[in-house]
This record gives sequence, structure tokens and C-alpha cells, in this order.
Amino acid sequence: MSTVSLLATAAGPHLFWLASRGAGIAALILASVSVCVGLLMGGRMRGRGTELRVAHEALSLATLAAIAVHGLTLLGDAFMHPSLADVAVPFVSSYQTFWTSAGIVAFWALALLGLSYYFRSRIGVQRWKRLHRLTALAWLLGLIHSLGEGTDAGQTWFLAMTAIVTVPALLLLAVRWARRAAPTPDGAQRARSAAPTPPRPATEQP
Amino acid sequence: MSIQQPPTPDRRRLAARELARAKREAMARRAARIRRWVAAGSLALFVAAFLVVYVQLASGHDPALVANAKHKAASGSGSGSGAASASASGKAKSTLSETASGESGSSGSSSSSESGTSTSTESESGSSSESKTSSSAESGTSSSNESESSSPSSVRTGQS
Repeated sequence: MSTVSLLATAAGPHLFWLASRGAGIAALILASVSVCVGLLMGGRMRGRGTELRVAHEALSLATLAAIAVHGLTLLGDAFMHPSLADVAVPFVSSYQTFWTSAGIVAFWALALLGLSYYFRSRIGVQRWKRLHRLTALAWLLGLIHSLGEGTDAGQTWFLAMTAIVTVPALLLLAVRWARRAAPTPDGAQRARSAAPTPPRPATEQP
Repeated sequence: MSIQQPPTPDRRRLAARELARAKREAMARRAARIRRWVAAGSLALFVAAFLVVYVQLASGHDPALVANAKHKAASGSGSGSGAASASASGKAKSTLSETASGESGSSGSSSSSESGTSTSTESESGSSSESKTSSSAESGTSSSNESESSSPSSVRTGQS
């Protein structure tokens, strides 16, 4: 406890700002790992399905919490003095409007697409799966926000850390897109979720 | 010596239910363990990231804050010759440009007054971007800028 108070005293006026940066970095790592696990779960590289699903869900919720901390702690920063609208509504903040808005849009997209999991039976499972694919785009938008506006974006350690967590996710994403775009033997595009599998002719059945 | 009788269908059903219940419980335990690990890991990650940026700040290597020594050195060489200020290290330049952009973000008037002081140094740097131009202007001009950015809170970019 004394360590925390010592840190708080030493960080002084920058405490909220440092906390926001810490939460942002944590959110970036958690989101990247979550995307990795989600892609492993949904692709053909599945191993332990249930464990991966639980881990993906927990990581997603932790990501949302970290992003919320990232935005809300900025409200206490004495230097920037942002309003709630500045950190929650895109294109309101006058400070680096594009990058800030990219982060805000990414957060709302992640929140909506992630939390829609709990309403997937109402939405329809196939429709929800199609919607959930957009999460990767929201994650990319968050990545762009961190590289474009992040205070530490020019630091070697930050770039190395970002590469370590994002390159595997990007590779998995590329593999997924390549598989979806790969033509089937009869030349048609794969559309597994779009059309139901036709029943086999009786002669082919064992 | 007794002969074991084969289990009745009821007994087999009960055993299957027990087995299913045990499997469900084991799965729930594994799920709870994963959730605990993720929660603890997230907290540890946040603390680690906080400590990294804190140590960076405390050691004077924070990218958004201008270290007094560097700034003094840069402004000292800048007052000596404009070319020296133009050929300052990239890190110092970016730090100063961040400072300028941060100030322009927080108050546009101060930024415009700073950029208004730019003279021949500006053309020497040859940079097309606004922030770099203002940074070279800052480093190459008067000591009023130096005194303005001597306090860490006044030179922070305010980047999130």
C-alpha cells in the first residue's frame, strides 16, 4: 500500500496520464491476444474448443475494461482536461481529432460487436458470426490509433512489444482471409456460412 | 463366492449421469481457473505497463516531456549557430516537435506565437511538416521558449 502511495506522490500531476497510458498498452496487448485466440478458435487450427472460448471471452472483457480505464483516467488529467464527450464521442475532441476518433470508434465497435455475443440467439447465430468478423477491423483501427497517437509510439520497446503481439494476429488473420478467398475445386468461392450444405446423394453415402 | 450381476439399465443411466455431472464440474472448474488467470494477467499487465512508463518518466526519457538538460543543450547550441540547431538529433527534434504540437493542441495562440518567431533556422531545417518547422524555430530562437518549457507540465504533449 505504501508503495502505491509513494508512486502516486512521485507521479504527481501525471498520475492519471500515466495510468491512461498503462491501460492503453494493456488494452492493446489484451486485444491482440484475444484476436489471436478468436482466430485460433474459429479457424481449423482449433484444439481445446471450450477452453479457447472461455479464454477469448475473458480476454475480450478484460480488453473492454482496459479501454474504459484508458479513456476514463484521462478525465482526471490536469493537463488535457478532456470532457466526457471528448473521450467518448468521435470527432468532438479538438486534439488530434482523427487519431482520437479512430480510437473512440474502435472502442465502441469492439464493445458492440463483443457484447453482442450475449444476444447472439436473438440476433441469429450465423448473422452474429458474420458481424463478429468486423471485430478484426475494429482491432486494426485501435492499432492505428495507438501507433498514430500513442505517446510511446516512437519508442523501440513499444514498437517491439506491438510487433510481438500483433504480427501473430495479423498472420492468423491473413491465413483466415486467404482460406476464405481460396477457390474450391469446382471454381466457386467458399461460402460456408452463406449457404447450407446440400445433402449428399444417396449413392455416395457409405 | 458370489457372481457379479451385470448392471441394470437404471444403474447404467445413473452412472452415465454421474459421469456427465463430473465432466461438467471439471469444465466449470477449468473455466473459472482460466478467468482468474486472465484477470490476474490483465492486472499484472497494467501494473507492468504503468511501471514502464513511470520509470521512463522518472529517468527523464519520457517521449512527451522535454528533459531539461537536453533542452538546455539544444537551445544553447541553437543560440550559437542556426545550423547546429537544425542538425540536432532526431529524437530531440521529435520531442520538441511533440512539445510544439502539444502546445498547439492545448492552446493555439501560444503555438502561433512560437511559429511566428521562426527565422532563418526554419529554412535550414528544410522540413515540410508543420511540427518540425516549429521545433527548429523553437530550438533556434530566443530563451523565452526555454524558460517556458522548463517545467515538465508545461512541455507535455498531452498525448494519450
